[in-house]
Amino acid sequence: MIEEEKLKKAHDGDLKTIEEICTLTWEPVYRFIYYKVQNREEAEDITQETYVKAFSYLQKHDVKIEKYIGFLKTTALNILRDRWRKKKRRGSNVNFEEINPIETAVDDAAQASAERTVIREALNKLNEEQRTVIELRILKGYSVNETAKILNKKEGSVRVLQYRALQNLAEILKTYD
Amino acid sequence: MENDEKKLSDYIDRLNEEKKPEVHGNSTESPQMEELMKTVRKVRSLKEPALPGADYPVKLAENVAKQLPKKLTVKKKKHTWIAAAAAVAAVIALVFAVNFILHPGGADIVYAMEQAFQEVKAYHGIIEIIEKNAEGKETTQAIREVWADKEGHYYIKELEGSQAGVITVNNGEKKWQQLPQEKKVYVFPAFPDPYRFTFELGNEIDDVKNAAEVKAIGEDKVLNRSVTVLEVTPKGGLPYRIWVDRETKLPLKRESAMQNAIQYTVTYTSIEYRNALPEELTIYSVPDGFEEVDRNPEQWVNNIEEVEDLTGFAPKIPKELPESYKRDGIAVANGMKTVKLNYTSRDKKHRVIILQEKTEGELNPASAAVLGTLNGNVAEIQSPVQEDYGVLAGGGVYSGVSDISSIRWQEGGFEFAVVGNDSLEHLALFAESLAGGPVVIPKGDEKTPDKPQIEVPVDLEIEENDQKSVDAGHSPWKLDPVYVAQVFVSLKISPEGIQGDYPVQYEDIKVVKNDGVNAVVEVSSDTTPIRRVYLKRLIRQDSTGIWTVVGYDPVSS
Repeated sequence: MIEEEKLKKAHDGDLKTIEEICTLTWEPVYRFIYYKVQNREEAEDITQETYVKAFSYLQKHDVKIEKYIGFLKTTALNILRDRWRKKKRRGSNVNFEEINPIETAVDDAAQASAERTVIREALNKLNEEQRTVIELRILKGYSVNETAKILNKKEGSVRVLQYRALQNLAEILKTYD
Repeated sequence: MENDEKKLSDYIDRLNEEKKPEVHGNSTESPQMEELMKTVRKVRSLKEPALPGADYPVKLAENVAKQLPKKLTVKKKKHTWIAAAAAVAAVIALVFAVNFILHPGGADIVYAMEQAFQEVKAYHGIIEIIEKNAEGKETTQAIREVWADKEGHYYIKELEGSQAGVITVNNGEKKWQQLPQEKKVYVFPAFPDPYRFTFELGNEIDDVKNAAEVKAIGEDKVLNRSVTVLEVTPKGGLPYRIWVDRETKLPLKRESAMQNAIQYTVTYTSIEYRNALPEELTIYSVPDGFEEVDRNPEQWVNNIEEVEDLTGFAPKIPKELPESYKRDGIAVANGMKTVKLNYTSRDKKHRVIILQEKTEGELNPASAAVLGTLNGNVAEIQSPVQEDYGVLAGGGVYSGVSDISSIRWQEGGFEFAVVGNDSLEHLALFAESLAGGPVVIPKGDEKTPDKPQIEVPVDLEIEENDQKSVDAGHSPWKLDPVYVAQVFVSLKISPEGIQGDYPVQYEDIKVVKNDGVNAVVEVSSDTTPIRRVYLKRLIRQDSTGIWTVVGYDPVSS
């Protein structure tokens, strides 16, 4: 829990307090963003923008934030949508501007855990070859070349295989929606 | 298909490297491809995330503090305020005195700069970029070697800074970037080129020429040379300063305004004027051990017959060219589907590309585009280009480059686009010559705009604040009339706020009219109580102006 006084100091730009708050809160915020973007470079970048936006917002609007991390996550979600939605013509949209920041607390842990269970189940529905290529390429992070050597296939075949595996997986995941 | 497999594989590789994929936030991929990329991210979420280093929270806090508005980061001490105010007043007084006594105006110097630059053919210099924070602490951001000529060709080598070793070249035929750490050479089309290296002399002088106000405010020394200091106030921006060599009449240093507690100073620590760029610097080659990455390969061809062999159709050629232009090459891109006819103005300042390919479905205009007509067909007009759809998506990256405009339309089973860094009027000449009919570009000054059945009251003060917020980079969706309408209709359906998906989808909304100032959109969803939404750019009537709902027609019962 971050005391009111500390928050105020941070919003006034006090470096030491900002550092304290970042140290206390960065990890859940970063993890939340990473979960969406799945790469460190972008996650670090958006985490930083999140704090800048959140502090600037709270400085201008005199609001009490009960669930600070929830507020930061919602701010992050807003940034992601601002960045991604401009060119995106489908998919789910939440109008973040209309969300009341006082009431906002994104309870994502339970949801994320449920989603992971679904993904694991879906992976298990793939045939062994497709599942293996996904595990090697995405979960273990092997290159196409390394994966090709492990599976004794050509690089082109690995690309075809992973493409089909992901197509199948996307179809299976749709049945859970 | 093969291309998609490669793209998906590259996407996985990029995430495995923990780097941001290009498509994030800038996707022009098909829905199927986006679905597959989303599936990759979902699978990846089973893994523990890659966490930053132990010093991350400290760095994060420093960067956050740096970016907070200046008044927040600098602690105010009441007793120093009066002294500071007096000092500022004294400086202002001195500046005024110097300005009036020594230099009655900046106009002569601007003219002299333009004249001097006309004599320059090419130059070679070392640029140093220094960042200063609100407390006056200076850090060197980058030192780079620059070769540039008047035709827009350049060779840049980063000597120091986070990008040290990176080489970027544009030789007019192609552009490439050599990244020694990744051992890769990325290849891009030579035009349009969104990269403009900081303090390119031609751009710098153009900026001064187009500024709202230029004042000579004093004398100084840079590199032991006598210089005149100019204060330049751009249209719609904060004043900055440049230091102009009194002998060569060319700029040597620029200091930006303090913004978000950061100020940049860019200086040519050495500069020499040459006749041309050394040829060896602009010859494309891939060093040993480097991999070439060309995401949108183009094949240059010699004549129309070769185009026909590759694409299966004979491209249309404009009957007449605007006088100042000549054709300088034909290329085929986008998997041999798109033909690119390239034209350059004789002074080599402007380039225009005509793109054409067989149509794949109806013209789907960018939501923020002005809708005009060409030879009776709907024409999507963007100035600047904000979204690359249809044939624009296959030709290169045009959106986000500030001086690129386009006209796109379909006719006779083909989709065409004329895109370039020239005025819309000149682009229209190309389009008219190609289509054989007139281009009508609405001006947004119609006397009797469409009347909504129900008017929506507007609070101009709120709109002005929203505009400021968008100018500062927040909520860019307010620049898109379709998003604004989507939010408006959705809030009509759920006045208590929107949880989860919008009740009305983005693709259920179609722009039926947009003249740049007034727009009308139609909503086709079954659940909507509203059929048409009327929007207007109330605060600013250009591509940076926000859209506001001013009325609507309910669904007639």
